[in-house]
Amino acid sequence: MSEARIDGKPASLAAAAERAAEILSAARMPVIAGLGTDVAGARASILLAEKLRGAYDHMHSARIFADLDVMRQAGLMFTTPNETRLRADVLLFIGKDLTKIWPAMIARLSPAEIPAFDLAREPRKLLWVVPGRGGAKLEGLAIQTLDSSNLHMTLAALRARAAGRPVSCAKRVLRKLDEFVEVLNNARFGVAVWGGDSLDSLSIEMLHGLIRDLNKTTRFSGLPLGSDSNAAGVVQTSGWMTGFPVRTSFGRGFPEHDTWRFDATRMIESGEADAALWITAYGPEAPPWKKNIPLVALASPQTAFVREPQVRVEVGCPGIDHDGAEFSRETASIVGRLASHRSPAPSVAAIIGEIAKRIGEDASC
Amino acid sequence: MLILLKGGRLIDPVNERNENGDLWIENDRIVAAPPGRLADEVHDVSGKIVMAGAIDIHSHIAGGNVNTARLLLPEKHQNHLPNPPSLPLSTAKWSTFETGTIYASMGFTTVIEPAIVPHQALQAHLELSDIPIIDKGTLTVLGNDDFLLSLLREGEGQAAVTDYVASAVAGSNGLGVKCINAGGAAAFKYNARTFGLDDVVPFYGLTSRQIVEALQRAVEDLKIPHPLHLHANNLGIPGNVATALATIEAARGERLHFAHLQFYSYGAEGGHGFSSAAAELAAAVNAAPNVTIDVGQVMFGQTVTVSADVLRQFNGAETARPKKSVIHDGDDNGGGIVPYLYRENDFVNAVQWACGLELFLAIDDPWRVFFTTDHPNGAPFTTYPEIFALIMSRDARAEAIARLPQDAVAMTTLPSIAREYNLNEIAIMTRAAPAKLLGLKDRGHLGEGGLADIAVYSPGKDLAKMFRIAHLVFKDGDLVVRDGRVSRYRWGKALKVNPGYDKVIDRRLAGYYDHHFGVSRDLFAVKENLLPRADAFAEVACAR
Repeated sequence: MSEARIDGKPASLAAAAERAAEILSAARMPVIAGLGTDVAGARASILLAEKLRGAYDHMHSARIFADLDVMRQAGLMFTTPNETRLRADVLLFIGKDLTKIWPAMIARLSPAEIPAFDLAREPRKLLWVVPGRGGAKLEGLAIQTLDSSNLHMTLAALRARAAGRPVSCAKRVLRKLDEFVEVLNNARFGVAVWGGDSLDSLSIEMLHGLIRDLNKTTRFSGLPLGSDSNAAGVVQTSGWMTGFPVRTSFGRGFPEHDTWRFDATRMIESGEADAALWITAYGPEAPPWKKNIPLVALASPQTAFVREPQVRVEVGCPGIDHDGAEFSRETASIVGRLASHRSPAPSVAAIIGEIAKRIGEDASC
Repeated sequence: MLILLKGGRLIDPVNERNENGDLWIENDRIVAAPPGRLADEVHDVSGKIVMAGAIDIHSHIAGGNVNTARLLLPEKHQNHLPNPPSLPLSTAKWSTFETGTIYASMGFTTVIEPAIVPHQALQAHLELSDIPIIDKGTLTVLGNDDFLLSLLREGEGQAAVTDYVASAVAGSNGLGVKCINAGGAAAFKYNARTFGLDDVVPFYGLTSRQIVEALQRAVEDLKIPHPLHLHANNLGIPGNVATALATIEAARGERLHFAHLQFYSYGAEGGHGFSSAAAELAAAVNAAPNVTIDVGQVMFGQTVTVSADVLRQFNGAETARPKKSVIHDGDDNGGGIVPYLYRENDFVNAVQWACGLELFLAIDDPWRVFFTTDHPNGAPFTTYPEIFALIMSRDARAEAIARLPQDAVAMTTLPSIAREYNLNEIAIMTRAAPAKLLGLKDRGHLGEGGLADIAVYSPGKDLAKMFRIAHLVFKDGDLVVRDGRVSRYRWGKALKVNPGYDKVIDRRLAGYYDHHFGVSRDLFAVKENLLPRADAFAEVACAR
């Protein structure tokens, strides 16, 4: 049975929802953070934020905006894992620990196999740009690696060489760069795969520029690996509901988006936010802030909090305890996940529904 | 509840009514005047215009590409108006909630999102679930999907193709089938930069013509009410009227709907190598009774083009304004999102604007020409009221034409056209004909037994205002709009067809997904329990 606690003491779900509603509606600027939840949970959270005139953010916003800021400043070319698997004759991996970010990457992209829809039916060429030599090993696969201690410089140099421009560097490095560029320019449908914290917006924008340039003569696209805890699904849901991604506030009665102003941790540490609703249905992440503010948590059972939340409800995991729609890295789309071990643990959407109906009027959404 | 709309001018082309009279509503239906009963609610609508709720057959209101467009352009939809507490997010620009609210306030009660690839169907239906008030529907995009192309390449026969089409439409809960630059997106993956009707998709050895023909046939065999909805090749290119004319011929007298024909009505004449060929194209449409078209009218201002014609969008990315775009090589069509600013003083944009109006006015039969801007590609749907004014008033057109570059005007026939749409023709084009085209027998008219989707307008000199601010709007008999203001949310259905087919194809597809994609096809299914409300769908019968 699911557990709810008020000030650390066992409570009924109804009592927990009542207390949560009191805390959140008493706050002047509540913030909904974490947001590790499925589409239904994100939807309920955004409607609650609207009702509370609060703000909402996702725990992986730094990663989200590394990609999204490039898209909305410069644009983006991207493809899907399916297309990558079936067509990519060249795979350009960029960044550390890609298989840690996505353990199924090799199984999904099948780099060892000849791409089924490639006209030339040749083995794929695999390139990897990564700091340090150890980061780019895949069992049994021949990979050309480019050791890059500075991704900005390496990607800029690759782009320059691909465009036939000179770069100033050691001959050995230049030779290596040109080997890479030769493969990139001759790709028929190349895909750059990137992820992780080693790429910031500047590197991603440079990479995007390289991809755009390559498309002047051949086909090339990108496959960003994104973040966990349904970050992309929450961004999509936020997109259709408000027009904006996360880091959006209803403080003035309409959605306003600002990646600095509505950073949940910053709002809490600075004292701008005076209560928080922390949501982690996928894993036991604890809130990242230090300040002690009233906290309602809808969290995985194992979550270890530094301070016991005022209200805590253990929620089920989408796709395990209950059915859920979420953005899947496997397909780069929102898919349905049926419960693998159906349980009575409540969903985030259900608990937020209980909280919301105790606040203000019911708008029947 | 029994409601009486008293003394309005009832305009109902289906029942050939255009006269003052009373209209009775009981619960969600239009009923005959019930003898001896008093209405629970009476609305005096004398002096007002009463029509069925309007139906938009082609408006991009949901799906992954639309959402990418929202996320691409945060600076273009900053908010400033708080919403009433009872209407959450209704003032959030470009949100699903705002979309339903604005459509309803203009008297639209059914809107079709025409471009959903099967792998994006769940997201599309999640988005549609958050569009309040109106009924919705989607067209399932096929024609660049590898499974279909491989069936055709292997010569598996029409029966297999038809079963596959049925399975894809049923699985994505679509209302019909759309085909977007057939084979063009697949060819683009092999580095094709142009793709015409008889160009061949590498790897598959198929022409666009063959793909369109197979899909057209499947739609007919399945008795899906809506004919194949075609986004033809060579969109937006000077001289592409040749493609449009060839594609009309390629329909071989069978039913075919041409989407946003304005974007195919271009000649290559004059000093700019760009001219209107709309008059010639309209004549061809007039001569082809099997063909229906929607216009895709351009209006001046900032917009964003959102299209699953990824090849065209890639080529158009150079003209992006602001200068950024997203190009997506998807599992089938993919898509491109390219912001665009249509300018009144731009030669090409002015010709495009005129081309759309020429099509509206030179196609004789209002049952075969549909009112769209290809929202948001030609213009946002919020410009509809101005377009109604332009097609209903020669004076309004003359005023607008006077502001354009006159060398552009000279490349069109628009100034010579005197036609003005009357309200009966408007009711055909935006109510009766769309219902017929989509197979929605329960709407588009004011006859007994019809769904009580009703728009009441206040006529006046300002035609745009009349259509922008509906006096009253009923959806399923609920009064939802008063003087352009939505009073509360209600939630409509997504309309879909459920064509019967031989389920053997599903087993083949399961194997294809497992082998090629390495994931289960079930992942992409639109499971109703994942949507926020029960009974999200209503089925439209497959029968013709």
